[in-house]
Amino acid sequence: MDFGQYQNIVTISVYGSAIALILIGLYAVLIKKNLIKIVIGLSLADAGIHLLFVAIGYLKGGTAPIFSPSVVGENVTMVDPVPQALVLTAIVIGFAVTAVALSLVIRLYKHHNTARIDQIKSLKW
Amino acid sequence: MNTYFVVLLILFGGAIISFAINKVSYLLSGIVAFIATASATVFFYLNVDTDNFVQFSLAGFDFQWGLNSLSLLFTYIVLGLGTLATLYSIQYMRFKNNLGYFYFNFLLGIGSMMGILFSQDFISFFIFWEIMTWSSYLIVVYNGNKTHKIGIKYMIFSGIGAYAMLMSIVMIYADVKSFLIADYIDYISQVGLSGHYLQIILLIVGFGVKSALMPLHVWAPKAYANSPMGYTSLFSGALSKMGVYGLSIVLLSLLTNFNTGENVSLGGLFEGINAEFIRIIVQWLGAITAVMGTLYALKQNDAKKLLAYSSIAQLGYIITGLAIGTELAVMGALFLAVLHAIFKGALFMAMGAVERQAGTTDMTKISGLVRKMPFTFIVTLMSIIALAGIPPLGGFVGKWLLYEGMITSGHYFLVVLIFFSSTAAFLYCYRILFGIFLGQEEKETINVREAPISMLIPMLLLAILTMVFGTYPGLLFEPIANAMSYIGYNDVVWEMSTISNVWGDKVSLDYVSLTIFTVFIVAMIFLTIKNYKGTRYVTTKDISTSGEMPTENENLTFQLNFFQPFERAVAPLYKRSMDKIYNTIGESLDALFNFVRTIYTGNGQTYALYVIVFLVIMLIFKDSIFN
Amino acid sequence: MVISPVHYIAVPLLAAFVIPLFAKLNREFVRIIPGIVLLYLSYVSIVLMNQVSSTGTISEVLAGWAPPFGINLVFSAFSGFLASLMTFMGLVIWIYSYRFKKIDDEPALKFYVLFLMLITGAIGIVLTGDIFNLFVFLEIVGISAYSLTSFYRNRDGAEAGFKYLLLGAFASTLILLGIILLYSSIGTLNMADIAQKSHLIPTSLKVSIFILFVVGFGIEAEMFPLNGWAPDAYSQAPGPVGAAFSGIAVKAGMYVIIRLIYTLFDIEGSFQFLIVMGLITTIIAEVSAMKQTNLKRMLAYSSIGQMGIVMVAFGIGTREAIIAGLFLMLNHAIIKGLLFLSSSYLVYNDDNKLISSLSGLGKRLPLVSFLFALGAFAIVGLPPFSGFWSRLYLLLAAADKELIYLIAIILIIAVIEIVYYFRVINKLYFKDIKVKSDDVQKPSINAVISMSILGILIIAIGIYPDLVTSYLGNAADALLDKAGYIENVLVDINN
Repeated sequence: MDFGQYQNIVTISVYGSAIALILIGLYAVLIKKNLIKIVIGLSLADAGIHLLFVAIGYLKGGTAPIFSPSVVGENVTMVDPVPQALVLTAIVIGFAVTAVALSLVIRLYKHHNTARIDQIKSLKW
Repeated sequence: MNTYFVVLLILFGGAIISFAINKVSYLLSGIVAFIATASATVFFYLNVDTDNFVQFSLAGFDFQWGLNSLSLLFTYIVLGLGTLATLYSIQYMRFKNNLGYFYFNFLLGIGSMMGILFSQDFISFFIFWEIMTWSSYLIVVYNGNKTHKIGIKYMIFSGIGAYAMLMSIVMIYADVKSFLIADYIDYISQVGLSGHYLQIILLIVGFGVKSALMPLHVWAPKAYANSPMGYTSLFSGALSKMGVYGLSIVLLSLLTNFNTGENVSLGGLFEGINAEFIRIIVQWLGAITAVMGTLYALKQNDAKKLLAYSSIAQLGYIITGLAIGTELAVMGALFLAVLHAIFKGALFMAMGAVERQAGTTDMTKISGLVRKMPFTFIVTLMSIIALAGIPPLGGFVGKWLLYEGMITSGHYFLVVLIFFSSTAAFLYCYRILFGIFLGQEEKETINVREAPISMLIPMLLLAILTMVFGTYPGLLFEPIANAMSYIGYNDVVWEMSTISNVWGDKVSLDYVSLTIFTVFIVAMIFLTIKNYKGTRYVTTKDISTSGEMPTENENLTFQLNFFQPFERAVAPLYKRSMDKIYNTIGESLDALFNFVRTIYTGNGQTYALYVIVFLVIMLIFKDSIFN
Repeated sequence: MVISPVHYIAVPLLAAFVIPLFAKLNREFVRIIPGIVLLYLSYVSIVLMNQVSSTGTISEVLAGWAPPFGINLVFSAFSGFLASLMTFMGLVIWIYSYRFKKIDDEPALKFYVLFLMLITGAIGIVLTGDIFNLFVFLEIVGISAYSLTSFYRNRDGAEAGFKYLLLGAFASTLILLGIILLYSSIGTLNMADIAQKSHLIPTSLKVSIFILFVVGFGIEAEMFPLNGWAPDAYSQAPGPVGAAFSGIAVKAGMYVIIRLIYTLFDIEGSFQFLIVMGLITTIIAEVSAMKQTNLKRMLAYSSIGQMGIVMVAFGIGTREAIIAGLFLMLNHAIIKGLLFLSSSYLVYNDDNKLISSLSGLGKRLPLVSFLFALGAFAIVGLPPFSGFWSRLYLLLAAADKELIYLIAIILIIAVIEIVYYFRVINKLYFKDIKVKSDDVQKPSINAVISMSILGILIIAIGIYPDLVTSYLGNAADALLDKAGYIENVLVDINN
């Protein structure tokens, strides 16, 4: 079975789902009124970006970028380790932001008794 | 140490000391202020030297301080009036609050005016100009509450003026690569005026605001009338003269000498403007200022406001004279500038005295103060004679020169305007004299006393000066001639006590004055003796009306609607006031501003949408934005 | 111990995490440790600034990996100037916030941890030589800033915090996307390396990356129309935090935009773009400030307006203009800092922070009002205060390039500033007193000290601008010396 034939489909589907995630996230942030949905949207867009980043670092047929006794000295293609490291960091950051966002949402709901963003605008002009 | 630094140090240091010492005693604050100005004056004139220039560099720019004969002329106004006004203020301000604050800004004002006169470069000129502006603003709002709108208006116009000047200054620097005023004058004389009109127009706007030139004058009447009078005498007498000082540099050094009638246009918005055109505009603006100032002065019931408008009118004469630019006209203008400082200073002080003693300067409320405040009356009388330009007092000489200058240079229509406003000035002058001092005494003013001696001394000194300069104008002609040699008029002819016209007639002023004074004094003694016993007291409101009984609150003083027929005649002129136009502009801007801020809707999602829309627009048009 | 730029990041970050431990020993440590840290950082600043002016840019490699692979810190005259400014502002704000509003130990702990993280992040942004590292620091700034904004657990604080977070999250998404595109096209994250290789990227892609970055960092730098969060956050955050935003956080965002334009990418039209965006930002913000009834909000808009002018200055791009821009940043930090700090006491007990509630406070709070007035005078650019010189430099730079319209707009805006600031001053001093004397909060001694430091600095720089001009000149040279930057990071280290 020719694995390369599916490679393109995999690549396309990875990129495609990354972009789809970003767009869905944007849609949620810009259109949905519920604060929770907006936060979910942010997380989705983040996830899409992370996926995109990992996909860029991926090389055809590459292995995990770990130096182990079995690969030292051999001519092995490894995927680019940098994006993976960065994405790990970015995921952590995204997690922290989401946590802060949710805590703010809770407080907003307490004070306003609503989670609709268009009703929370006592600060304006 | 250098004279300039010492003078500024005394004044600014005095400002801080009198601010601090106010905690100890209210009186000390004023005394310190007076000592500071007096000692600065004495020190300055002992060490004055027009060839002494100081150079230093700060923030990467070269600064130069020095004195020229033109600024020397203006130092007489600033220091002379400044000293007298501080002396006057000690008693005038005695029962008021925040005296430390008042004297701090007062001395800051005097110091910064001296700084302006010392500055030979634009940047220190501008710095001192701004210090002068905000310190005077702080005094304009000193009386509190009602004054804040007046203060804001003053600050807005000053801001517009100052920033117009700043814009011009930075453009000049871009051209000349130097801030020195002399360098700019040299530069203009070499490359000509073409392409530099915007700089000059902006400078004129900048100076025009301070000298209350139409249509930038709207801040002035209320600002003058609402400051404490001790300061207003300086405000109207000296501070506005800084505008005149600047204008005389711009109009004479820059425009007159190098105006060869060339018709180089600026292009674009300023198509067709040349030096002559600018000067004609300024002449006319000055004349219109004079006429409108006079007309509005006639309408006022409050003597302070009347004098404020009158100041505007007088500044109009001065500016017209400068803009005409012939030797006689300039001489007249500078003479009037000094004289205006003297007589208007005296008048504002006199009105301050009236306000302090009688509680108001509203001419419909008080009258007949001549017996209570005879010295103030004499001061007012003399200053008003000088203001109206009646011989033998100083104002006459100035106006004479101005008329001569205008007639000989063929500005007949301007003469008519100036003559009209000068004649109308008689009307309002008369009104002050009559309204406040003559007429019957009121019950309300029965307890009024003459002002304290320390207030009378500066007033009387100023009044005597108007007399001296009326009789011996040569005393003043000498520094003026020197000053004019600085701005390009060499060998100005003058005589100690004689004025002449082009047709060769000569009048010896000392004889005229002597005669008039003799007659006046004799007549006064005679009248005093004759009337001493036969006086009858009637109150103003003792008026029979036909059938109706006037109620208490109806003001039937004869001062009300004093010039009604005249006002009716010139009513159309009152209709369009610049003030209203500015107010309309202000209101519409306010509405616009209020609308703009609704961009910030308060909805977080909208803000997010802005980000995306902005991003998308940028991405779509990236090629045209970042070619 | 050798002083190195790493201390800027390591020390406060470490301190932020050990404060809770020390708090167990003695409650007062919560408040004292940040002060010690900031004093130490000030010392580091002085030492390093001297070193920079004698030996040139310091480039510090972290963890032994040489650039372009490892992360490095660059302490040049330019980034060092900003880092020192931030440290100084941090110190002043710490002095001020010591026992601010008598908050309990528990919130104080949170406040100082977040505050130290904010400073760490902002200084990190300025010093780092790695773009992903920069992103991380930006997020540190972001998270601590969101939390500080909603520090008071009231209704409006949460709202402002959420809006800030929403836009901040957008910013980080866009920046991350930009980083991905950048990495996929030239395979490096080191800023010097990017600067060296950015001409290899196809123009269209390069511009797209640039736009993503500018929009992302523009949110932090308060560029219109991305600054919806700013007025809310400034007006709801505690006073010292407002000062920290304008003096520290925003400066960091602005720094990145400057770096992007001057060092990283060489894109035609980016300077004009910055001028135009700066002008729009300023005009909209100042116009919005005009009719504000909320004092803090007015200051916020004024702050945005100032940042717009800073953008304009950097958009002009000549050495003089950069000096002007840096001078504006310095002035903005100290003057706006003073205004935020003093206004906190002016509206201490008014939840709506209304300007009308200031009536006659000049008599009740003479010193605070005086300092506020001093700040207002300085910010509208009246001489002899420091604001005047920066504006003069900017105008001269604009005149040099014959941008007459620019001069006119800046000066018209200055008139608008005069109107709304003097309205407040009038309220303070020349209106009848409305509040009772026990309703006002007298400033604590440390608040007075910190505000006085800023006030004295404003006057000192105003009278003798040469105090700072040489630093500014060096910083401008360092910024313009792109080749030197690349060389310093890549060549010197590798050898």
